[in-house]
Parts: sequence; C-alpha cells; structure tokens
Amino acid sequence: MRTGVASAAAVSAWRLPCRVKMVVFLEQLVNGLTVGAVYSLVALGYTMVYGVMRLINFAHGDFFMLGSYLGYTMLVTVLAQSSLPLWAMLCLATLISMGAISLLGVLVERMAYRPLRKSSRLTAVVSALGVSIFLQNAAMLIWGARYQAYPPWSVPEVNWAPGGVHVSLMQLLIMGISLALMVGLYMFVQRTTVGAAIRATAIDHDTARLMGIDVDQIIRIIFVIGPGLGAIAGVLLGLYYRQIHFTVGWSYGLKAFTAAILGGIGNIPGAMVGGMLLGILEMLGAGYISAAWKDVFVFLILILLLIFRPTGILGERVAEKV
Amino acid sequence: MKRSRSGLLLIAVALVMSLSFGYYVMAAKEPIRIGLQAPITGPWAYEGEMARNCVQIVADEVNKAGGLLGRPVEIVLGDDQGSPKQSALVAQRMVSDKVAAVVGTYGSSINDPASAIYERAELVNIAYGSTAEKLTEQGRKYFFRTCFRDDKQGAFFAAFAVDKLKAKRVAIIHDNTTFGKGLAEAARRPILEQKKAEIVFYDAITPGERDFTAILLNMGKQNPDVLYFTGYYSEAGLIIRQMRTLGIKATFVGGNAAVNDEFVKIAGLNMAAGALQTQEPLPTDLDYPQSKTFLAEYIRRHKEPPSSPWPVYAADAFKAIAAAIEGSGSTDSKVLMNYLRNSLKDYPGITGPISFDAIGDREGAIYLAYEVTADGKFVPLR
Repeated sequence: MRTGVASAAAVSAWRLPCRVKMVVFLEQLVNGLTVGAVYSLVALGYTMVYGVMRLINFAHGDFFMLGSYLGYTMLVTVLAQSSLPLWAMLCLATLISMGAISLLGVLVERMAYRPLRKSSRLTAVVSALGVSIFLQNAAMLIWGARYQAYPPWSVPEVNWAPGGVHVSLMQLLIMGISLALMVGLYMFVQRTTVGAAIRATAIDHDTARLMGIDVDQIIRIIFVIGPGLGAIAGVLLGLYYRQIHFTVGWSYGLKAFTAAILGGIGNIPGAMVGGMLLGILEMLGAGYISAAWKDVFVFLILILLLIFRPTGILGERVAEKV
Repeated sequence: MKRSRSGLLLIAVALVMSLSFGYYVMAAKEPIRIGLQAPITGPWAYEGEMARNCVQIVADEVNKAGGLLGRPVEIVLGDDQGSPKQSALVAQRMVSDKVAAVVGTYGSSINDPASAIYERAELVNIAYGSTAEKLTEQGRKYFFRTCFRDDKQGAFFAAFAVDKLKAKRVAIIHDNTTFGKGLAEAARRPILEQKKAEIVFYDAITPGERDFTAILLNMGKQNPDVLYFTGYYSEAGLIIRQMRTLGIKATFVGGNAAVNDEFVKIAGLNMAAGALQTQEPLPTDLDYPQSKTFLAEYIRRHKEPPSSPWPVYAADAFKAIAAAIEGSGSTDSKVLMNYLRNSLKDYPGITGPISFDAIGDREGAIYLAYEVTADGKFVPLR
C-alpha cells in the first residue's frame, strides 16, 4: 500500500473492478458535460463577437459574472418576498438577469467598442480589457469581496443514481437548457433573414452594407444575444455550485475563450463542440491523471491543437484579408 | 517669549510626572519590565488588542498578589503593526529597553525577524500565535512558544480519526498551499507509521476552482470513512456539497481554516451540519478552573470573551515568564532560558499545562474537534 499511496489518485481509477470503472467513467462524463455546457454557452458570446467584429471581447466573462450576481440578487430580494412557486422564481430571475445583461452588453458596445471600430484591433482589445476591469471592480464594490452563495432553498436538490451513476436535476437542467439554447441559436443564424444578415456581416462589413444591411443593428443584435446567453450561464452556474465571487468571470472567461479557440473561433457549432470537449477533457484529466495537473493537461491539448490545426476543430481555413 | 516657553516646559514635565506617578509608588522597588510585542495597529489590530487585554489581566493579577520577587511587574508594549520591518524595530527597542523577557508575537513571518534579534541579544521571547514549524527548527535557544505547531494539529487529527472516529480508511485532500500541504503531510505521517488505519486517497486541489467532482469521484470509489481537508473554507464548502451530492458518506473533517460561518453559507446548512473541524479550543471552551476565572475577568472588563484562541496564549506566555522569574529567583535571561527549558514542568496555564521541549515548542497538543450543529453553531465534540 505504501508505494501506492503517493500516487493514489493516478492509480486509483485504473485499479477498480470493471463495472465500477465504467460507472466512474460515466459519472466523470456527466460532470464533464455539465461543466462543458456552461463553457459552451459562454464561449458562444466570444465566438459571435469575434465572428462579426474580429474582436476578442475580454469583458464577456464579466457579463457572465454579473449575470450570476443579478440572478442571486433577484432571488434573495424581490423574489424571496413573493409567493411564486420555485420554478417560476428561477425562470423570472434568469429572464430578468438576461434582459439586464443584454442591455448592459448593448451599452458597452455603444460606449466602449463602437467609437473604436475604425481604429486598430489592438485598441479595441485594450478597451475590452478596460471594460472587464471596470465591471469586476464595480461588482466587488456593489456585492463585496466576500463569497456570496445562492440560498439553499433556491436550488432543487433532486438526485438520481441509475445503475450507480449519480446525476442531479441541476445537471440535466444545465445540459438540457444549454443544448436547447445552442440549437435555437444555430437555427436562428442559419434559417432566418436576420441570421443571414449576421452571416453576411461576418463575412464582410462593407459588402453587407452595400446589400442594404444595417451593420450597426446587426452588431447590436450580437451584443444582445451573447451577453444574454452569458447571463443564463451565470445563473445556472450559481445554482449549480451555489458559491459566486466577483473573480469568477475571469477564470470561466478564460476557459470559455479556450473552448472557442479549441472549436474554431468565429464558428458557432465550434464553440459548442469546443466547450463540451474542454469540459470532458478537464474531468478525465482530473479523474485519470491528477486533479492538481488538470489545467496543465487541458492547455497542453490546446497548444498541440494550435500547432497542428491552428484554426480549431471546426474552423475553416480563411484567406487572410488584405 | 522665553518665559512662556519655559512655562510650557514646566507644565509638560509636571504632566509627565503626574502620569507616571502611579508607577513611582510601586517602584519604591524597581519594577520588573516584561515586553509585549503585538500587532496593536494594522491588519491584525483586533488580535493585537485582545492580546494586550489578556496580558494586562494576568499582569494585574501578579501585581495584586505582591508582584514577582517582591517587585511589581510592568508591561512594555511594542506595536509591530503586523509588519516584519516594524517587528525588527520593536525588537531592537525591547533590547535597548532592557526588558527581562518578551511576549510575542502573532504572525509567523512577523515573528521571524524579531526572534532573530532577541536571539542575538540573548533575550527570552515567547510567541503566542506563530504556528509555522520552521520557527523552532532554526536552533534558536531563546525562542519559545505557547501556541502549538501546525504539525501537532496533523497528529491530533490522526489520533482523533483512528481512535475516536474509528476510521479504517482515511482520505486526505490539501490545496497545495504551504499551510495546507504541511498540515496534510503532518496528518498522513502518523497514520502511515501506526498502521492502524490506511490512507486510501491523498491528492491536491487547486484553490479558486469550483468543480471538484472528478477528484471526489476517485476518492469515493476508495470508500473512505473520513475525509480530512486541510485547505480553506471557500473550497471546503464546495467540496462537502459536491461529495454529498455524489453520494459519498465519509465524515468530513476540516483543518482549522476550513469550517466557519462562510463554510456553512456556501455548503448550505443541510450539507454542512455534522461537519467536523480540528482546531485550537476557543477561550470559551477551555475547561480548567484557571481558564474559567480568567474568562470571567475578561468578560467583566471587556463585555465579551476573546473571539479567537490566540490572545489567551499570550496570557500564558506572560504567566510562563512570571513563573520562571519567581521559580528561578532571577531576571537574568540566561537563567530564565534554562529554567523554562528544564525546570518548568506542567505549569497550570490558562490553555492547559505548559512545558517546553528541547527546541522551545510547547509539549503536548491541545486541540478540539468542533462540530457544526443542525442549527449552524460550532460546538466542541466531547
């Protein structure tokens, strides 16, 4: 036993009986998909903005964080007083948070990005970083530097264990809602006129304008959808882990950004695939290698992918614009 | 102009005289001066203030009983502001003030530079809140402490888990910080040596993360009876919640940074209830007669008990010095050092019997296991 102890984590998962091994694998997969679904939702915001504006919106993680805080505030203040059933409260909190963050997204675009649209890309990125710092500190001043927690009554504690695999209602909700939103978004972009306009704008602003598309309007729509999805992900995350902090936007933003690159930035299905893949890789890395080395593992894969396929998994090779 | 200035001077002198008059009465015989180095201002000001209150109580007690060797004692206060730089300055001042010995200080990294200076000046100094192991591992002869080392807590957990919880399979998770890793190692060592229980899982998490399901799943498949988590409350709250959701029934035990109000808030009371923590006893939970009278006096003066365990160790450091002076009949630092090291055995301190081992650490280890009750209170498990 002694020799096994030092690397218990690394060995443990391999040494189990076959059936248990399968159960562990499935549980890791479920957990990975849950985290991955959150990454995907946030990654969509990065990828849509990049696709249309060629801008890496570093403030996106903070929209996500603010969404989480707003949902929390709604639940503990206004909705806690009401006599609505729990599901209605949760829906309302999510919708209000989504609406508010969408509005904030449009505002940020108008104030921090539009004046810089003609300047170099670097300037816009610096502006995005500035917005990120501003939002983070604002959140710290409003809600305090301590950890906040979604109240216990707000989280439906329903768990199942079919065949020994533990699944909670929250996990199914997160996966289900994310999947529905992503499919909905994909349909919207592929099948509607507005979606066609978004795709046209992503290809070339000037040509799109010549075709009669209001590019400013399209960008505004992007900044309604992206932060809105981020806010939903924020509320879901808050309900899942219960603990929220003003720095959460940075860590999840970084992971989601990685997911977007992994899938091929600018590509909507790519963000979904990238997010899910990242979530699963993380869990398997933590489960079968070592929890402490999980991030090393994930970023190693990212580096390898960027070396051998720089455009990401689903990204297409685009000719450099002149 | 000249007259008014000398007039002012006269008033000032008179003022100083009248202020120190109280001391002059007792100082018919010259007082024995004992230093107290504490963070009276700065980030730990609250801790420093409580330490001063505690030491004042025991000093007053000594004076009321006729002082030491027939001489009154006097506290010389030095504020190190919780900063290493200020700490060195305070130490130098204590040395030039020729105090008999020093009580202090709180933080381990603050203590280090000061105790180096005391060592050079051959001045006995007894720390009350510095728990880092390395402080007594540097071969300093004049350094002692009344608080216990971090590794004693690990040993306490090992004994507690095996003997009290009857655990056969123990899992340990730390957070890779110096403190967390040190405590985890210290808890693992005795369990491996005694072979009464097995360490079935030992791994680290990254602080700041939120999802620990992967590591907890691996742990759960080893069927541990007890999980010892030696990190901080923010992760501890998430860990207990996630492991309960995964259906892992192992008893959760936290190190002394893991379980507090925030832990309960993050985990939710339904999950947090029943969680245990190894910790220094809070002043209100000390069971000795001398601690009861001390606590009553503290509450009489300050309306509430000290909120952390540390200030009481400062009072005990003062008591140890007083006992050494009385017992050896001398205020010479070398004599005091030898007395503390060799002759002071099981002196009844407020936090329990005090004896020092060969490197200046306090012998024994008095820790308690605290439990989170169903209504979110922390009570010692007896």
